[in-house]
Amino acid sequence: MAAGAPDGASSKSDIYAGNGPRLMLPVWVFIGLFLLLPVALMGVYSFLTKEFRGGVIWDFTLTAYDQFFLDRGLFGDDPAKIEWTYIGIFWRSIWQAGMATIMCLLIGFPTAWFIATRDAKTRSIWLFLITIPYWVNLLIRTVSMKFLIRDTGPLNEFLMWSGVINEPLGLINTNFAVQLGLFYSYLPFMVLPIYAAVERYDFSLSEAAADLYANVWTILRLVILPVVKPGIIAGCILVFVPSLGAFLAPDLLGGAKTFMIGSLIEEQFKGNAGNWPFGAAASMILLSIVMAVLLIYARSQTKGDK
Amino acid sequence: MKHLLTATAFVLAIAGTASMAGTAHAEGKLSLYHWFEYIPQDLLDKFSKEYDVDVTMDTFDSNEALLASLKAGKLGSYDLAVPGDYMVDILRQEGMLDTFTAAEMPNLGNIEDQWLNVPFDQGRKSTIPYQWGSTSFSVNRDVYQGPIDTTDIVFNPPEELKGKINVLDTSGETLTLASLHLGIPQCTSDRTQLKALNDLVMNAKQYWASFGSDIAKDVLVSGDAAVGMIWSGFSAKARAEGANVEYAFPKQGYIVWMDNVALLKDAPNRDNALKFMNFLLEPENAAAVTNYANYSAGVKGVMPFLTPEVANSPESNPPKGQKGVFVQACPEEVQVMYDAIWTNLKK
Amino acid sequence: MTSSDIAIDIDNVVKRYGAFTALHGVSMQIHANEFFTLLGPSGCGKTTLLRSIAGFEDVNEGAIRLYGNDIAPLPPHKRPINTVFQQYALFPHMTVTENVMFGLRRSGWSRIEAATRADDVLKLVQLSNFADRKPAQLSGGQQQRVALARALAPRPKVLLLDEPLSALDLKLRQAVRVELKQIQRETGIAFIFVTHDQEEALTMSDRIAVMSSGHVQQIGTPREIYETPINRFVADFIGETNLLNVTVQSVSEGTAQVILPSGHPFSCPAATVNSDGTGHLSVRPERIELCPAGGGDLDVKVESQVYLGTDIQLHTRVADGEKMIVRLQNAQSTILPEIDTVVGLKIEAGAARLLAD
Repeated sequence: MAAGAPDGASSKSDIYAGNGPRLMLPVWVFIGLFLLLPVALMGVYSFLTKEFRGGVIWDFTLTAYDQFFLDRGLFGDDPAKIEWTYIGIFWRSIWQAGMATIMCLLIGFPTAWFIATRDAKTRSIWLFLITIPYWVNLLIRTVSMKFLIRDTGPLNEFLMWSGVINEPLGLINTNFAVQLGLFYSYLPFMVLPIYAAVERYDFSLSEAAADLYANVWTILRLVILPVVKPGIIAGCILVFVPSLGAFLAPDLLGGAKTFMIGSLIEEQFKGNAGNWPFGAAASMILLSIVMAVLLIYARSQTKGDK
Repeated sequence: MKHLLTATAFVLAIAGTASMAGTAHAEGKLSLYHWFEYIPQDLLDKFSKEYDVDVTMDTFDSNEALLASLKAGKLGSYDLAVPGDYMVDILRQEGMLDTFTAAEMPNLGNIEDQWLNVPFDQGRKSTIPYQWGSTSFSVNRDVYQGPIDTTDIVFNPPEELKGKINVLDTSGETLTLASLHLGIPQCTSDRTQLKALNDLVMNAKQYWASFGSDIAKDVLVSGDAAVGMIWSGFSAKARAEGANVEYAFPKQGYIVWMDNVALLKDAPNRDNALKFMNFLLEPENAAAVTNYANYSAGVKGVMPFLTPEVANSPESNPPKGQKGVFVQACPEEVQVMYDAIWTNLKK
Repeated sequence: MTSSDIAIDIDNVVKRYGAFTALHGVSMQIHANEFFTLLGPSGCGKTTLLRSIAGFEDVNEGAIRLYGNDIAPLPPHKRPINTVFQQYALFPHMTVTENVMFGLRRSGWSRIEAATRADDVLKLVQLSNFADRKPAQLSGGQQQRVALARALAPRPKVLLLDEPLSALDLKLRQAVRVELKQIQRETGIAFIFVTHDQEEALTMSDRIAVMSSGHVQQIGTPREIYETPINRFVADFIGETNLLNVTVQSVSEGTAQVILPSGHPFSCPAATVNSDGTGHLSVRPERIELCPAGGGDLDVKVESQVYLGTDIQLHTRVADGEKMIVRLQNAQSTILPEIDTVVGLKIEAGAARLLAD
């Protein structure tokens, strides 16, 4: 409560600051109804008993989490061991998403830097250009990437025609193809926040560092990167989180040979498995991982501001 | 949203999923829940015009997706759906089907005798045949010229086909074909047999390039795969698109399926739904679907309306003596094990 | 004078940006131990010259020598010259100490030596208590001192200051001037200070270079610049002055005979004269005395009074329409003339100067 409202009434300054309780009410209702409630529902479902071929029975149980973490053999009656299957699937997804994030960062940072250092008019043209592909549906873009890199696609045909290679590169249906697809899907999410940070960057800081005997690489490492770090971290989160749950790129470019988190969860709701509580439990575990990453980030931020 | 549309099919798919046939102020409405790329728009237009009914259509890409969607609350918003054979059984068990009387379905007599008394709908009380076909695999004859009438092509392939195989990304069809390869019954709960099934697919995975259902035709046409598990009509389409592929009827057996138009419970436009079902049982209309989808109709008298290519399609005319089997809906305690094998395969 | 006495030798430096020439062959020598100011209005080239010395701009012609060595080919990080930036350019993610240690660590100081040196420099600028703060937690004046400490720490041979006081409020600015001057004396290195504020320049500098449109107008001590400006621009830019249009009758041995707008003859030191025999007589407002009408060098009509505290300004007008400003000390004995009355003005002999356009 603001200091200026001792008797509990909202003060005028509160209202002008956008904090009036009545003004915020619709927002809280909306968030509660369409953001928090579905997550809560998912949390509840993860503790329910599965109904055969989809659906739930309202008996509370830990079966879904048991299935996730404990291996009881193909027939369910071996002594319980740690189940590595799903942890493995999660780890693979994290690794894939991490690689995609690194690729986005390596390409996205110079791109953002280039755009942010153009003059104001060309800057908006570049920004527009980089977002153009994203007006096309993600599915179509992923399919296009598949057409491009398949063994009989234009990339391989060009390289073979020009004599650079004799055999197709064999990119399709590999982990690298998945990373490439994720990279292409989420590059702007890396470029835009870094662009925003670089655009605010005070270039006299670079001059000051050069003046204080720092060469170009030292300036990048000790001044530019730390100062635009919030943009980089925001970009990494924006790329990493959706990559983690992606299933289009793994299915289309990776050949769907192995489950990713996204396809594992999808299988529980749409596939033969039809195990809703298990899908909900996997989603909750995924959500917990993401929340943990974000909390660690938030913690490091507040520490840095002290 | 798992289904892949080829770039060319994309436009068709948009037209399909978003189609609003007929004029905006039609007498009645009809709400269809159908497979993607499975009914010609002309036929929907024809029905709309003849009966002055607005047809809207949503699409799904697997029987399981259909079930999940109906379970998630879509029942009551669609009049008709097009489940496969075993899914008809499941939908009935779930109480999602309505029934009609013979009087309500004057064209019931047009159904071919062999499809009238089917195990999943004795005497046709809730469904009519839509199309039937088979699931097996096709081989690119440019790559491999040897004999292909064996499931070894998929599970124990010759050297030149290793790493060039696409299998369907649905456990039902892929594990059933694997069961045929091993000669074990479907829905077995015998541990030795299940273990063998698990070992077979785990070992065969090294030969497989990809898992994908909606890309099944595309990978054959593009050459990404030299062998592809595929539905018969899809293979015929791949052939029509220029791929030198031959559809196999393996001696171990192949999968037969039938898609059926099912009257859903709580259909909002039950009368129009019955009109549409009768409409589809007219030989001319059934033939139109067959000409489009390259399967077989299950309706008497379609022959004169079929194009010669479709009528004589090798994919629709299995050699005598080769047996086709329906995929069975397994009981829960067995299905769990098949799910575990599938997850194990893809972990 | 030997080269060891000259810290920076600017030798006929030309800097062009496309068709625009920012520096037209500028030359000057800055002595070791000197507080040297580049003064001029914005766009005069003073900042360009400073940035050329720092190494942020490449000059097109001419040489810049540091104690006799041409430094033009060296990038900024290889020049033993440090800069205090206008907006300080403190590294926001580093503490005060880390900021100060930055240049030390980059130029080869060990961590321990650098920390000791940083402590000393922060003591010098009286910021020891703020060593662990981030720049955002400091006031403007404190930030300015961190910038100074950071630039001084690596013991540069020359310190460049780019309008470092412009972001401070008046009171603080005046205090910092004294401090800066003192620090310059203590460190004993050459300071090159850029400003557009003539008062700042006059109070702090040993010498001033007045610049305009990419040219050096005059270089001299504050007193020389103020009292003997060599042209109209310098006279007008430094302090306040009255510029009367006069006709020159004769010039000999630096003394000119001119006719004032009142028709009154007047003799004064001559700096420069226009070729057509006209010129401007520059008269500082505080070098004028009031007298009864007709009793001085010219008569003016009083138009308004402006109270300035220590002084009172009279805005007056000569018969031909020219303005004259007169500054009187605010003393009890001062008698102010009424508005609209005509008074005489007596110009202090020797305090006026004849200048060309």
